Amino acid sequence: MKYCFSTEVVDLDNQAPNRNKRESKYFWDELNHLMAAGGFTRIEIPYEPKWDFGGRSGIPRTLRSVTTKWETCEKYLAFLKENGIDGIDCVHLNPSLFCQGMLPVYFGASGHYGEEAIQFAAEMGCKSVTLSVTPPYFRVKALLGGEIREEEFLKETKALVEKLAASAKEKGLTLCLKNEFWGLLRGDKITAFLNELEGDVKLDLDTANLRIAGADVKAVLEANKGRIGIVHFTDTNFVDTDETWKTALPEFPAKRPTKVFTDLGEGSVDFAGIKAALEAAGYDGPVVLSPRNSNDISRSILRTAWFVKNL
Amino acid sequence: MANNIKLSHMSHWKTVPYKQIDNFRDYYYEDKSNACYYQDWDRILRYHKATGYDGIELAPWDLAEILGLFGTPAEFTAFAKDHGIEVSGMFHGCDDSHIPEKHDEVVAAGKAAVDTLKAFGGKHLNTCPGNNFYGNGPLDDAGLRTIASCLDEIGAYAEANGIQIGIHNEFFCVTNKENHRQLIELTDPRCVHYCLDTAQVVLMGDDVIDFYETYKDRICTFHWKDTADLGVPDEIRYAKDVEICDDGHRWFWEPGEGLLPMEELWKHVAAYGFKGWVTIEDDGSPDYLAAMALSSYYMKQVLGKIYW
Repeated sequence: MKYCFSTEVVDLDNQAPNRNKRESKYFWDELNHLMAAGGFTRIEIPYEPKWDFGGRSGIPRTLRSVTTKWETCEKYLAFLKENGIDGIDCVHLNPSLFCQGMLPVYFGASGHYGEEAIQFAAEMGCKSVTLSVTPPYFRVKALLGGEIREEEFLKETKALVEKLAASAKEKGLTLCLKNEFWGLLRGDKITAFLNELEGDVKLDLDTANLRIAGADVKAVLEANKGRIGIVHFTDTNFVDTDETWKTALPEFPAKRPTKVFTDLGEGSVDFAGIKAALEAAGYDGPVVLSPRNSNDISRSILRTAWFVKNL
Repeated sequence: MANNIKLSHMSHWKTVPYKQIDNFRDYYYEDKSNACYYQDWDRILRYHKATGYDGIELAPWDLAEILGLFGTPAEFTAFAKDHGIEVSGMFHGCDDSHIPEKHDEVVAAGKAAVDTLKAFGGKHLNTCPGNNFYGNGPLDDAGLRTIASCLDEIGAYAEANGIQIGIHNEFFCVTNKENHRQLIELTDPRCVHYCLDTAQVVLMGDDVIDFYETYKDRICTFHWKDTADLGVPDEIRYAKDVEICDDGHRWFWEPGEGLLPMEELWKHVAAYGFKGWVTIEDDGSPDYLAAMALSSYYMKQVLGKIYW
């Protein structure tokens, strides 16, 4: 397995003690050393334009940030190499941020920043760029005026994905789709959607998200054998018994506060079985290690190192 | 203590993901850390009351999540009231206000912010007048007048709805040291007020005592905070993305932890007999609960002996 470590370990959105330092460049510069010390020399970057709007260019998660601080992606890559990180395997865009206001704004902004994320991924030497295929159910419902018109929304989603896939292909990248447990294409619904797409679009197999959505991860893998573009190892103990996935903040179950995602090895996903199934399917791409219980980032890095050592 | 001043706290807590955590003990045991102390509005509002605050100023970038959790502004306001906390105001940014073609869009956004704040039962719409200086400044007189016309229209609408807008200048804003006073003069004093951010004015290089004495009739509320940087050079204020420093340097400190003449300024506030909301803004603090307590102690035990 070729592992890479996701800098999504750093949660910028939610309140936590000492959260503010995560907006300064020095924090991210040091993070490279921490990841390298944990044995991780290749990384994933979540592409988050949200921080561009506030001028938070110390957070290296967009083309604007990187070019503001390092002028070019090439210089940023050289900086990473000098600081223990050999390269970037994957860039992930979650366009949920744009799911507010009006439908055309969502698809327009998702298209714009999707193209930008693809450009960023290409300049960073990635082979894959992955897109959260829909925003959360709750947000889509709010965007559509309180009524889920799934067919209409997915029709436009299909057009968006096919356009981005063509752009990615032009730049030598593969577009992958991540289907979080809170989205319209949760669980094994993604397979039928992928079957309908034109162009080269692959699946981002995200273990915890599939499991929380009630899917059999190995069955989804089998159904999409040959079109797995990237794999995310994420862990969980969460069982969604009361449709938390439909709520405003689905990663924070309102009725029963709990950590939906855990660090790797702290949950109950069958990674040994999934690893064996991936090897049997001939998957030889990167596996992104994404610990999601990130209040203590250094601890999460070392927990992940222990997880890999014992897998 | 007398009762001229009501103390509020600007909500810089990032997304607070829960309304209320009822299974607090079980949740704590999941990772046995202090994270669960900062994840629900129930406890955040308790901290406000416990540390001596009467109000909270909302951040507009939190509204989607707040409304997701509470359903309506009125539900949030009632929940806060149950904790002994009022909504004092909300921040707002008039991006693109210097661009004539954007006038209608900027005014519409400002009026929408007034409506939102009214629904939350707040009073002060503390309004950054424009974009960052970098990429937009320096402005000529026409640019300033364009901003002023937006503020006048939003202000008139606000007054009609029982809201006061207060110009809240930032040290990196397009209206800056050279012309921020001119902008105040260009606006209508009947409906455009001023929210004096004590640190921002000094970071720009202005004299906060002189500023207060000059504009005390326009000042409707405060963002009270300290700084250790008295007059930041133009080349820094006018550079790109300067609000957050690469090396972790903090522009803002809790009252009493920086270099501002806080007691002297407060004596001027007392002499004028200001009555109303004073909001602590502790952006940059690594620990908001500690910052809230430190700030409240200073306001009440140090400044409160002069005037309250």
